[in-house]
Amino acid sequence: METLTDQNWLLSVGTFLPLVGALVMMFIPRGEEATHKLIGIVTAGATLAIGIVTLFAFDYGQSEKLQFFVDAEWIPVINSNYTIGLDGISLPLYILSMAVTFLVMIYTWDNMPDAGNPKAFYMLMLVLQTGMAGTFIAQDLILFFVFFEVVLLPMYFMIGVWGGEQRKYASLKFFLYTMFGSAFMLVAFLALFFQTGGDSFGFAHLVEMGAGIDKNVQIWIFAGMFLGFAVKVPMFPFHTWLPDAHTQAPTQGSVILAAILLKLGTYGFVRIAIPMLPEGALAWAPAIGILAVIGIIYGSLGCLAQTDMKRLIAFSSVAHMGFVMLGISTLTTFGINAALFGMVAHGLITGMLFFVAGSVKHRYHTLEISRLSGMLIQAPRLGWIMGFAAMASLGLPGLAGFWGEFPAILAAYSPGFGLSTALFRTLMVIAAIGTVLAAGYLLWLYQRTAFGEPSEEFSGHGGTHAGGGVAHSLSSAANDHDDHDEITDVTPIEWIAWTPFLVAIVVFGVYPQLLFKVMDPAVTEMVNRLGETLP
Amino acid sequence: MLAAEALELSSGWFLENAWLTGLLPVIGFAVILFFGKKLPMKGAEVALASMTATLVVAVGACIEWMQRTNSAETHSEEAVGLVQAFGRSLPSAAEGAEAEPFIEPVVTTWVWWQNSGLEFGIGSSIDGLAAVILALVAFIALLVMVFSVDYVRDDRRYTHFFAAITLFAGGMLIMVMAENMVQIILGWEIMGLTSFMLIGHWWEEEANSRAALKAFFTVRVGDVGLLVGTAIIFFGSNQWAVDNLDSNGFNIAAIQAWALSGEANTQFLLWGAVALFIACIGKSGQFPLHTWLPDAMAGPTPVSSLLHSSTMVVAGVFLVARIYPVFWEGFNIGTGGLSFIAIIGAITIVIAALLAFVQDDIKKVLAYSTVSQLGYMMLGLGTGAWLPAVFHIITHAFFKCALFLCAGSVSHSGSHHSFDMKKDMGGLRKKMPVTFAAWCVSTLALTGVFPFAGFWSKDEIIDNVGANGYTFLMWVGLFGAALTAMYMTRATYLTFFGEPRGAAAGHGHDDVHAEEHEMEHITVGASEPRSLSAAANAHVDDHVDDHGGDHGGDHGDGHHDEHAGPHESGPLILVPIVILAFFAVFAGFLNPTPLASRFGEGVELIKKYVEPRATPVVTEEYLASGPGESIVLVDGVAYTSAPSLSPSAEGGEEGGHSKKSGCGFDAPEAGTVCFFPGVSHAEPKFAKILLSLGIVAIGYALAIGFCVLFYGRRDKRLVGLTERNKALRGGFLFLKNKYYLDHLYENVIVHAVAHPIAKAAYWVNQKVIDATVNEVGVGTRKTGEWVYDNIDQKIVDGAVNGSGWAASEAGHAMQPTQSGKISQYGALLFGAATVGAIVLVLVTVS
Amino acid sequence: MLATFLAQAGDWVSPTIDWHAVAPELVLAIGINLILALDLQLAETKKWMISTITGFVLLAAFVPVVTLAVVGDDAARSLFDGRYVIDDYALVLKGLFLLAAYVVVLMSQTELEEGGYYQGEFYVLLLCSVLGMVMMASARDLVSIFVALELLSIPGYMMAAWNKRNPKGNEAGVKYYLMGVFASAVLLYGMSLLFGVTGSTLLTDIGASLSDGNLIGLEVVAVVFVICGFAFKISAVPFHQWAPDTYEGAPTPVTAFFSVAAKSAGFVALMTLIFIAFPGADEVYEPLVWAMAALTMTIGNVLALRQTNIVRMLAYSSISQGGFMLMPLAFAGNPDATGSAMNAVMVYLLVYAFMNLGAFAVVIAVSRKTHSGEISSFGGLFGYAPGLAVAMTILFASLAGIPPLGGWFAKFNAFKAVLDAGTTAAYVLAAIAAVNTVIAAAYYMRVLRVVWMDDAPDGDTSPVNPPAPVVAALAITVAGTIVVGVLPNVVARVGALDALTGAFSG
Repeated sequence: METLTDQNWLLSVGTFLPLVGALVMMFIPRGEEATHKLIGIVTAGATLAIGIVTLFAFDYGQSEKLQFFVDAEWIPVINSNYTIGLDGISLPLYILSMAVTFLVMIYTWDNMPDAGNPKAFYMLMLVLQTGMAGTFIAQDLILFFVFFEVVLLPMYFMIGVWGGEQRKYASLKFFLYTMFGSAFMLVAFLALFFQTGGDSFGFAHLVEMGAGIDKNVQIWIFAGMFLGFAVKVPMFPFHTWLPDAHTQAPTQGSVILAAILLKLGTYGFVRIAIPMLPEGALAWAPAIGILAVIGIIYGSLGCLAQTDMKRLIAFSSVAHMGFVMLGISTLTTFGINAALFGMVAHGLITGMLFFVAGSVKHRYHTLEISRLSGMLIQAPRLGWIMGFAAMASLGLPGLAGFWGEFPAILAAYSPGFGLSTALFRTLMVIAAIGTVLAAGYLLWLYQRTAFGEPSEEFSGHGGTHAGGGVAHSLSSAANDHDDHDEITDVTPIEWIAWTPFLVAIVVFGVYPQLLFKVMDPAVTEMVNRLGETLP
Repeated sequence: MLAAEALELSSGWFLENAWLTGLLPVIGFAVILFFGKKLPMKGAEVALASMTATLVVAVGACIEWMQRTNSAETHSEEAVGLVQAFGRSLPSAAEGAEAEPFIEPVVTTWVWWQNSGLEFGIGSSIDGLAAVILALVAFIALLVMVFSVDYVRDDRRYTHFFAAITLFAGGMLIMVMAENMVQIILGWEIMGLTSFMLIGHWWEEEANSRAALKAFFTVRVGDVGLLVGTAIIFFGSNQWAVDNLDSNGFNIAAIQAWALSGEANTQFLLWGAVALFIACIGKSGQFPLHTWLPDAMAGPTPVSSLLHSSTMVVAGVFLVARIYPVFWEGFNIGTGGLSFIAIIGAITIVIAALLAFVQDDIKKVLAYSTVSQLGYMMLGLGTGAWLPAVFHIITHAFFKCALFLCAGSVSHSGSHHSFDMKKDMGGLRKKMPVTFAAWCVSTLALTGVFPFAGFWSKDEIIDNVGANGYTFLMWVGLFGAALTAMYMTRATYLTFFGEPRGAAAGHGHDDVHAEEHEMEHITVGASEPRSLSAAANAHVDDHVDDHGGDHGGDHGDGHHDEHAGPHESGPLILVPIVILAFFAVFAGFLNPTPLASRFGEGVELIKKYVEPRATPVVTEEYLASGPGESIVLVDGVAYTSAPSLSPSAEGGEEGGHSKKSGCGFDAPEAGTVCFFPGVSHAEPKFAKILLSLGIVAIGYALAIGFCVLFYGRRDKRLVGLTERNKALRGGFLFLKNKYYLDHLYENVIVHAVAHPIAKAAYWVNQKVIDATVNEVGVGTRKTGEWVYDNIDQKIVDGAVNGSGWAASEAGHAMQPTQSGKISQYGALLFGAATVGAIVLVLVTVS
Repeated sequence: MLATFLAQAGDWVSPTIDWHAVAPELVLAIGINLILALDLQLAETKKWMISTITGFVLLAAFVPVVTLAVVGDDAARSLFDGRYVIDDYALVLKGLFLLAAYVVVLMSQTELEEGGYYQGEFYVLLLCSVLGMVMMASARDLVSIFVALELLSIPGYMMAAWNKRNPKGNEAGVKYYLMGVFASAVLLYGMSLLFGVTGSTLLTDIGASLSDGNLIGLEVVAVVFVICGFAFKISAVPFHQWAPDTYEGAPTPVTAFFSVAAKSAGFVALMTLIFIAFPGADEVYEPLVWAMAALTMTIGNVLALRQTNIVRMLAYSSISQGGFMLMPLAFAGNPDATGSAMNAVMVYLLVYAFMNLGAFAVVIAVSRKTHSGEISSFGGLFGYAPGLAVAMTILFASLAGIPPLGGWFAKFNAFKAVLDAGTTAAYVLAAIAAVNTVIAAAYYMRVLRVVWMDDAPDGDTSPVNPPAPVVAALAITVAGTIVVGVLPNVVARVGALDALTGAFSG
């Protein structure tokens, strides 16, 4: 597979720049909180700037090739190299990770979690950013593994230190779950390495040689990788760490977790497991498809059973990642394109929902759905944004969510490489029903939290006419003047942090070609390669 | 033997830029949303402006389309002459038949998204159908907006209302001009979203938000069919489309051609058609998913009128008409198969009409009448009566919109925002003459009385249904017509005749509402969401706060002085009503089929300009042609297959079907494609017209008699009949509770999913899967403790303590060696080694 | 008569000694005597100099190691016809031992000063033990191995019981001593058998005679006993019980010394034997080591899970780490895996030395403030001593094997070596190891959780100020851990010693 190597310093800089920022912060006393926040934001901003430069330097004409390609010696003893590159599959996620981190940091400016200590918080986020970006550019199994694991500790501490009541339980669960998966993933990587002759950990090499492995061996190795990635995605039945992690994590943690970390798993499937082990993938595809659809229905039902807004959103992630995995399991260009789009869309939308949940918690000090009501009256803009995100999340055409869901469902109608059409068509119908459930729980949530009159306990604090001459029921109109604890509408900082999300959701929804054009060639190339090896 | 002549068709700016009709409202929406509040008219002007512009473009497109069609006629004659010059005589010319070339839609499209190398477009594909519906939607929407300016004045979310309603119209327009299925889904779902926003406009009241939820959710259930159907059709047609038309399986033209190509897999067609029609059932409120429509009355009246006349509910019908070939082939409509569509349509006609009898809320009467009328359209499409069905969309839009606006006007100025005919209306004809007149005209149109609009379309449907051999369904249609006449009479009587009651008599209305709620709970049971009047009532109360407790205050116009009693509405409300009433009278003459025999086919404008011609087109030429060209296929088969000419089609008896040929009946010749099946048109018969008019008349007679006796004179024989007679009572309750469908949906299905099932799933999650995970963790630690306590410590601790204790005593440092424990341990160490050794010896040595 | 005696002695020629080769040992020996002498002269107030001097001695001993590595890169230097060999393998290990000892000295300085212990003697004993280890690295003969072993063990017995006023200290000493003696007995028994059946004490000869194809029962017994003897040193299950109590009872620096240096020495001996003496007996030791590895890592982990005392926890964790080090040896006989197995163990020893010493350094630093070994006493550390907390995080995460910290590469190599063999047994062991990494992560993370997320026990958040030497020790270990993790090639190259067996041809 030929590669482009011009301007290949971009990736390394973009990936490791955050560490520089973290290093600087290390030498500044903890007291100067503002300085730390500033350094963090500036660093992330610079990183994003590099990312944007990358965006412009990227040659969209040949997005199926690896660009900015670097292949330097790293650990010759085990034939592992510092091989990095970017193609149409990884570009969107790479940029997304930078953008999300940057915006999350801005959001943190005046939404610092209660535990305080921005120094540590920002440093962790910077380290996290390096890990995430690195995972998307790595073109060497060992390098990939290292970056894949780097994100563990920072997230563990973010949840554990700045999280909610059961943060310790949740964080440890998150950590061990992932650890468990990645241990087997490592074994699988090594097995793959030796099965291909132990010459190199480079992706290109393994993709080339992997197909040659005996079918049964492939199935076993795939099983190992499956454990590693499925836990990260998370797929049913490995999803149980997610609701706890999301519910307990600070808003920032939830957003990053939903927007990027979950994608590491799906990305692993697309980038590693499937291309390197075609026959294994083929053998596993039905199982993945079934689990994915179970995840869709099951996640939706889980949502319907929730009483906590944040936990509901967390469960919805299970459902949405189910669509992504369904797309992947079809092993078709259509499905995998949809899956990649779905990753980005879910990142933006669910990230947005978690932001909203965070702000609701910040204002009402509760996320109990039954206690919230009439948000549209007290904080109309917040309510609108929430409605917008909910609509996007339930896959409304014209918003980003649709382009992850619809093609995935479509693709399931005719899966690739002789997979059982009967099975996948059944899955398609069930998945389609899943969209109805999605509408169900999201609108239900919206109706109960945003509509209606503000519930008694909060109706005292009314951002009354914030909605622009929103008239108001007597009770709250009366109490308007003794607003001790005003429930404010969206603050400027929040606007700055959220607008890009909202804009992106609309733009990608209205003109999906922006993404498809980048991904499609790369995916097509990959699937064609599958076609060469599979019957 | 095929000779094809590419001929120049006129096109035009409006045709090629019709996509603006979709774009303008969306822009309008954005502008209103972001700047509306700052504008002098709170954004209404933006809405009006954008919709006016849209209307201009749409009408322009209509006119240019007519020119285009005409140009084809003239050109084709030239073509004839041209060919003769080459000395080849035209068989058709010999038969004296005129060439009816297929008029290609004008397509303007951009790449929207791509996948697996295929590029899918978005844009406008304008043909007669699209053009006329575009104009219709824009026109109705504009009038409704004008109406709203006054009607919802001073509403708390005035601006949002206009933003939403603009986007609502935009969604419909996007769908109508759709070039491919995905674009249809786009428009379709935008409408779903905005209907949610509009129906739940007064979301402070839980009933309203529930109604909104219900509407969105029910439609969404249908959408499963839309997604699945689109998928089926896509994969069915994609390859064919790529090979033959250099298109893809989303493109509507490609789908039409594929369906008629004869190469389409019948299974794909059948299941695709079924799935898509399920979507239409949800959207167009067909039985059994019609239950959301009446609840949707919770929205402001303008919303109801727009939603019921030209947008939303029509979307389903439009979808069927748009990709008609799929249904035509999938359900074998052409060969007289009894189609799913027809059956559902017929059922809907009757059950909805019956429900309309027991409604006290005037808007709900109209709602059910809409459902019933949609049933007619579906019936028509399901039986091959494409033209009248489409025509009925148009006429119905006018008079139904008019009726709703009248109802709005009544509640606005006549009954203090109550929509309850029994409580708050009656005898309003003197107070509100204009509204009354408009209402009557529209009612006549709706019931299909000659010469009002409804007659020309509905009668045609019934006529064609019969002509196509569905005699029974024809009688269903006629029966439905009678029912329509009856319930409309009842509604008219209750509203405008008799003695003024409640608010109409100028009473305060709070007490009324109070009773009303009780009444509802008694008769309907708590399961039914509270009707709009409740919402309006609550709304008024809210509103009172703004207006310092003026109980006359309302969400409509701010003229508080006029609230002494019922009065005629202001001009902004009346003008649209009058305009619509005008069309309710005369719209029928757009396609007066019965007159065709006397004045010639020329009078059937819709038939000539809207119905696509069932003429094969040469593929190569089609591919070569740009927006401005089309192809006449000069070919014997093609001509005889033009159904309106084929003698067999004339009779329209069942026998006729077998003899039919051409598009939609047999596969087009190699290298040619059809885009529309050769639907047949019934020859209007005077007898039939009399028959249907007679039935309607009977309906009126009965209804009027009943009303006078029952409501007017309170005749003892009728009053309380339902209490006395068990059977009637049963029937009454059965209807009152809407066939208990809502109970089924809300209390059984939804409740089951939302509560037991979801709870169970969650229980499994927490108690089984998650528990296992935790157990593993705990288990490991337990193991550790067990090993530690029983193996590690039992053996060692003693030694530790012993030695520790001993060593701490000076001089006895050696004592522990005597204590058995250490030696035990030594034995263990040695023993382990020995055992290992022995085992390995046995294993390895030999 | 004397003449006859001389005459008899006449045919005895003294062996030629390559002084350069034995320079490290000599430096150490001289240092030992020097310190002994000094210790007698120095006044109590000046005792602190001793530790410094010890440090210098160790560094001085390091110099010849470097020179040997630079100069003697051609062929291995072999003394006493192959009974004492200085090759890359030996040099790397000598370097490792000296470095470890140096770090231990840094850690023990303040500990001993404050404890008012017998500093002079302590350092002498420490140096003796180190001398033994350094010799062990080169020993290629049963006798020299045994001598080295005893030389490194016996001082250990005394150091274990160093704070003798404390009963636990005595337990530690006595238990360590007794078990050590048992182990030596078993080992010696095995060695004698080995000598009996092969007729030589030279490992190469033994290797030759064992690989003649057919093993007789006695040879098997001998091999098993020898391995079990060393299994004690490396505290492999089921010979591990002494470790926790000894570790807990001994002064923390000594514990660090045992858990790193002594353990490594045991592994060195084991490796030397397995690679040189037992290549023919692979079907004997492979199952044995396989079982030991599996048991050791699992039981060690499982027991560590429930510990509340950090030193005990580290003790058990070091047991399970030992299991990971044993894992590759189980496939040393497999032609595919020999090279990578050696490589893996070497790398593991180096990385392990860094991170484990570091971990103990942190414990020392903190417990100087809290005076408690309970894990709970680390609560809130992140709050009042973020620097220490971060260092601790790095070291423990490394122990848990999380990239990009040294530990992951060590573990990774171990896995690699095992899977290199590619047999079913290998995959099973790999799976077991994989599960164990998770269990291990569990208790390491529990500690970090306390450090980061809990509050200081008695709300005492006065800052910790660790003494300079400990800080230095921390700096060395943390830096090492990170560097090894990010640029594993540094150690990987050192570990690549497939030339070990070849070194004895000359």
